[in-house]
Amino acid sequence: MADNPEQDLTRETRLYLLLSAPQDINSMNLAVIKKILKEKDTPLIISLNQPSQVLVKSYAKEGITPDQYYVIDAVTYYSGGSCRPDPHIRYVNHPADLTGLGIAITEFLRQIPSSRKCIIFDSVSMLLIHIPTASASKFLHFVVNKLKISDVSGIFLCVENGLDPVILSQMSAFVDKIVDYEEIKNTLLPKQGP
Amino acid sequence: MVFDRIQTGILIIEPETHMIIDANDHAEALLGVKKDKLVGKVCHDFVCPAHCGECPITDQHKTFHNTERVLLSASGERIPILKTVAPASVGGKAYLIESFVDIRDRKRAEERKIALLAYLNESVLRIKNPLELTGQNLNQIEQQIGSGEYTPEEIRMQIRIQLNNIMAMAATLQDLAKKASEEREDIPDGFREFFIGK
Repeated sequence: MADNPEQDLTRETRLYLLLSAPQDINSMNLAVIKKILKEKDTPLIISLNQPSQVLVKSYAKEGITPDQYYVIDAVTYYSGGSCRPDPHIRYVNHPADLTGLGIAITEFLRQIPSSRKCIIFDSVSMLLIHIPTASASKFLHFVVNKLKISDVSGIFLCVENGLDPVILSQMSAFVDKIVDYEEIKNTLLPKQGP
Repeated sequence: MVFDRIQTGILIIEPETHMIIDANDHAEALLGVKKDKLVGKVCHDFVCPAHCGECPITDQHKTFHNTERVLLSASGERIPILKTVAPASVGGKAYLIESFVDIRDRKRAEERKIALLAYLNESVLRIKNPLELTGQNLNQIEQQIGSGEYTPEEIRMQIRIQLNNIMAMAATLQDLAKKASEEREDIPDGFREFFIGK
């Protein structure tokens, strides 16, 4: 593994836990998807935070079109929104529906034609609103195993200090690296104009 | 008389043979064995798991002073104790005075403390950090409203998600408070390992 985590983010099959301050988590999502697309990987976003309709709009503002990525949307139905059929979007009834999330991940990994896929799990912190840390830990272990078996990269977004030491120690065993977004955001985000 | 009234189990042991010479009432009660069944037996059978010839005191020359150990009672219960072994001379003959204090209550209190810490930790993780995220999301929604780029339905959905999340956090807090007040002892293994390193 390279010393610079930004360099090998998604370059090979890698599993990362990416930590950020609460105010940076949405910009981190955006920066990560851009990086994945730049690496010619196909992103699959598991969104427990924003409805796909809003994600599509946010990404479009950055020039990312809906045919470039796939979304598992666990919050539109939860918000009483309309789940519009889309081949690139799968809806799960509730963020705590771990079975639904597991099935959607399995099916999408099978369905996405690209040989280079990378999931973005947004976010571990939001998952903890809905399920106890022990269940979250088991589920994340399941997802990581699924990705390893399928040779798929994964980036798990999390608010820094949003994990208890137990989960963090377990996650550090599952993932290849824990990265602080603050350390790499300058290399992920586009340079600001004068 | 005094020997039988104190709330500490006491066994008097002959160091050469490891035979129990005498036991007080509290030792009888803790071990669940009558004195007449204790006296004349070797101590390994009751208060020490060491094999013959491997006595930590007489063979390995270790000291026990308020050392945490486990006593195996006749009913099979493993009782945590603080054990002290002191040499003594009675009538010119050397003996070992083995005393042990039942610390089950202390252990229960420690477990309870760990459980409460675990619930407190869980509350912080599942309430404080998500609340910070919710605050951030609401801030973002406010900006989206101002931008005019998002439809009322998109704004409504996002507000509903935050509202549902806040309600989920309130329910979590109530659930954790209930579990903590029920004095439950089902500490998650991960927390047990983390807090007491076992």
